[in-house]
Amino acid sequence: MMSSVPATDKKSKLLVYSIEECPVCGQKTKRAFVVGDYITKDGSKCTKCGNQTRVSLVYAESSKPSG
Amino acid sequence: MPLFPNVALQVSTDTGYLLYMIFFVGLFVFQFAFGTRLQVYFALNDIGRGLSKLKVMKEKSRKEAIDYLVNVGKAPGDPAQRVDQFLDYVTIMPVNTDPQGIINKIDHIVTTNNDRVRAEVTALVAQNNPVTVSISENLLEVATALNMIHKVVRHYYILGKKTNSYFTLIQLQMLMPMIIQESDALLNAVDSFKVGQPVGDGIGCVSVSKFMVGKEKRAIAKDTVMAIAEYKGRKLYVVKADGPMAYVGQPGVAIKKVIEEMGVKPSAIIMIDAALKLEGEKTGEIAEGVGAAIGGIGVEKFQIEEVATRNKVPLYAILVKESILEAITVMRKEIAEASEKVVQTLQRVIEEKTKEGDDVIVAGIGNTLGVAQ
Repeated sequence: MMSSVPATDKKSKLLVYSIEECPVCGQKTKRAFVVGDYITKDGSKCTKCGNQTRVSLVYAESSKPSG
Repeated sequence: MPLFPNVALQVSTDTGYLLYMIFFVGLFVFQFAFGTRLQVYFALNDIGRGLSKLKVMKEKSRKEAIDYLVNVGKAPGDPAQRVDQFLDYVTIMPVNTDPQGIINKIDHIVTTNNDRVRAEVTALVAQNNPVTVSISENLLEVATALNMIHKVVRHYYILGKKTNSYFTLIQLQMLMPMIIQESDALLNAVDSFKVGQPVGDGIGCVSVSKFMVGKEKRAIAKDTVMAIAEYKGRKLYVVKADGPMAYVGQPGVAIKKVIEEMGVKPSAIIMIDAALKLEGEKTGEIAEGVGAAIGGIGVEKFQIEEVATRNKVPLYAILVKESILEAITVMRKEIAEASEKVVQTLQRVIEEKTKEGDDVIVAGIGNTLGVAQ
């Protein structure tokens, strides 16, 4: 008889990134998420124009290519 | 060549036929007499396996909550006993045989419970950091939910076993995959909560926070903030839960206050929220509609519908599709990137449904963990 309890999925590992965006020139930098990061938090200086960047997104991506 | 060539064959065929009949009659009798028992046996095994998984999940979430309280919250002493008391705490919903005024009663009970949870957690952790307190609240809520799921499933499992009730067990067996899936999602949420990562449910907050950055914010309801922004001649009253704490706030109270206490006469209320997708729908897809886009127990939805109806303000909804797992675990790329499209949709709705000089209320709904403003 087939089990109705699903076996534990083999989940691909999720990597979490923070996106820092420069509000002046719009340059986006992707880096690994660090505990304490949150959206709208001040980031590092923009490498293009030197202005203060801001964390605009925090998201997870699968380490395996989807499909 | 035998004299009667078909005799042996005839005997053999008769015996075969007889055995064949005995087998099938026997099978029929066995199925009739023991079929249900056999299915009960399989169902019990199946549910028992699921129950063991639920027990592991329940214990893991409890341990994670205690570890967080000790390591991050710096709880003095061992909080295990207080946590166990917390897990068994019950909220008794009001009587619904006379539904008149039930929403206010539910609101009162839920508010009392939320205040109690906040007070308990604040007493448990040594530091007064609101992010740590809110994360502790969420971790304890996850542990409470898993504890309750395990208890209810165990109840029906034992009841079915005691009474040998075929129908109780079969119904529970059919529900087990969904129960395990939802419990698994809850357990996965713990990892995101612990480190303060935004969850999929926070997409509404992410979208409206773009209108609030750099603006003056004011507390408008418990755990809820509002900022005034401007878009193409319209004045936007932007409301969201106070981030980056793991709050959902009180958007219903906030919208009511904007309209009834501040005297704002909005031309539209636009709500942005995550919506559960149906199987086959794509994560991050955007849907538009009318009505109050907010989940939960129904109190906030009622308040928003009531104030909108009383003041004849149209309610518009922008929804981002995601699964239950995606809603309560770390925000996926497809969902986060949908925030740009949500902002474009919001701007289009504002342009189409209102005119210059109008006031518009924009509410980002959801858990705002990791999303400030």
